[in-house]
Amino acid sequence: MISSKRRKLDSMSTSINNVTEYSKTDECASDCSKVLMHAVLPDDLCEDTPLVEVYVDDISDRKNISKAVVAINSTFPVQELLHLKRVRNGKVLLFPKSICELSEVHQFLMKKGFDTSLLANNIQIVRVAKLPPKIKSQYEKVNKLWPCNFHSNKYLERLVTNSLFDENEMELHRKCMEIAIDVAKHAGNKYNSKKVGAVVFDPKLKSVVAIGYDLTNRNPCKHAAMVAIDNVAVTQNGGAWDKREQVIVNSLNTSGIPKDFEFLRDKYAKTISFGCHVSNDTDDCKAFEDGAYLCTNYYAYVTHEPCVMCAMALVHSRINKVFFGAKSKIGGLCTLCKAQTIKDLNHHYEVFCGLLERECINL
Amino acid sequence: MEIAFTYARDALRNQEVPVGCIFVYNNEIIAKGRNTVNETRNATRHAEMNCIDDVIAYCDEKSIESKYVFENVSIYVTVEPCIMCAAALYNLKIKQILFGCRNDRFGGQTVFDVSTVLNPVTDVKGGYRADEAMALLKEFYKGTNPSAPPSKVKIKSIDTKLV
Ligand SMILES: [Zn+2]
Ligand SMILES: [Zn+2]
Repeated sequence: MISSKRRKLDSMSTSINNVTEYSKTDECASDCSKVLMHAVLPDDLCEDTPLVEVYVDDISDRKNISKAVVAINSTFPVQELLHLKRVRNGKVLLFPKSICELSEVHQFLMKKGFDTSLLANNIQIVRVAKLPPKIKSQYEKVNKLWPCNFHSNKYLERLVTNSLFDENEMELHRKCMEIAIDVAKHAGNKYNSKKVGAVVFDPKLKSVVAIGYDLTNRNPCKHAAMVAIDNVAVTQNGGAWDKREQVIVNSLNTSGIPKDFEFLRDKYAKTISFGCHVSNDTDDCKAFEDGAYLCTNYYAYVTHEPCVMCAMALVHSRINKVFFGAKSKIGGLCTLCKAQTIKDLNHHYEVFCGLLERECINL
Repeated sequence: MEIAFTYARDALRNQEVPVGCIFVYNNEIIAKGRNTVNETRNATRHAEMNCIDDVIAYCDEKSIESKYVFENVSIYVTVEPCIMCAAALYNLKIKQILFGCRNDRFGGQTVFDVSTVLNPVTDVKGGYRADEAMALLKEFYKGTNPSAPPSKVKIKSIDTKLV
């Protein structure tokens, strides 16, 4: 049973959708290795479920199993372990070891009003899941230790098995990263700056809303993602670093894309549009009230892992998903920390790394 | 700090989150600012970020190296810098930061301690006129501001304890 499941999982991972085959262009000509884009998961999804030690005792008479379970559940329910079954193979789970010494267990139960004659007084210590498992692979491990309830979340399973996106969606992600790479190259040459590029994309419109590139040789805060965020603001008639009038092309507002980058529109015209919805004044007021001038529902594609400042700027901007190619030693999404998973923040986004990784590293 | 407060009050008058900030270099105020998030439609335009841009302009004008200036700047800001601003200021190797009240929603110490990942040289102290800074925030978050991003309207209790 388990081995057939295992095989199924293995075949899933080899037939995975998120495979990048390097196009045979310039520097990548000889490299046809396949690289996976994958989700950067919150720690509680990439680690095993934490365990806790509990006392377990045999039920003295197998006929009394259900009686013993009802009795222990009514006299001593363990709120923090409700995800665990109370009984297995004639053994009943009593309570966490931290509550008392082994020699005092029966005394303790008696005080709670439990009839200890139901137990064989053959107390053992067992390690069980401290928290409910979140994904199937965690469940399979802890369920072997002690039976456990599990509610599978289809979305999480797709996220952790790297099967969230279908091939069409992956093609779109690669295109967006290609644009970010083109932005990095063009801006790097033009401004003699570090080759880092960013694209903010509206997945509903399938359109590039804004781009950004590194200008840290002018201002230490002008990282590609920060510049891209400000260019999104420009499309809303805002912006701190740049102010440009609305430019309407094919009934989309392209003011988030500086003039020098118009060549991108011609290059990618077949698959991707450029610009965002044109807002009139009344829409503008509404958007202002809704806070919709932030990057809500947008995706960001950045050639290199955003730093802590940029990672938090993307939280403030309410970005929906972030894709990056190459990891960075100052990265704040995976390398130094995972800013997108800080519990106390009011917004969290999903992060995917390794998209066109080689091309991004080679920049 | 009083000057920082005048900028925070100015932010409040302009329906921005009331945070004010000044950068002091050689006993001279070289940058002063407040939040301009609504004005710029850019959620990253916090008082500190605006001041950083002012310092760049100041250095460009005087043809001096901004790196050296940042490393000798003292910042007075009415609210604890957020994670983004803390990271930016630590990267600039700012000499010291003195802030008013804590920032329970986004604070670069309170919500996530940025110093644990960036090993900053910056000396950070809080609690200067915290109650006043807090009172301004509370006034803003009373819900009288229709143009604030929704998240910021629903601010929770903010800690006024000293650091
Ligand atoms: Zn950055
Ligand atoms: Zn900030």
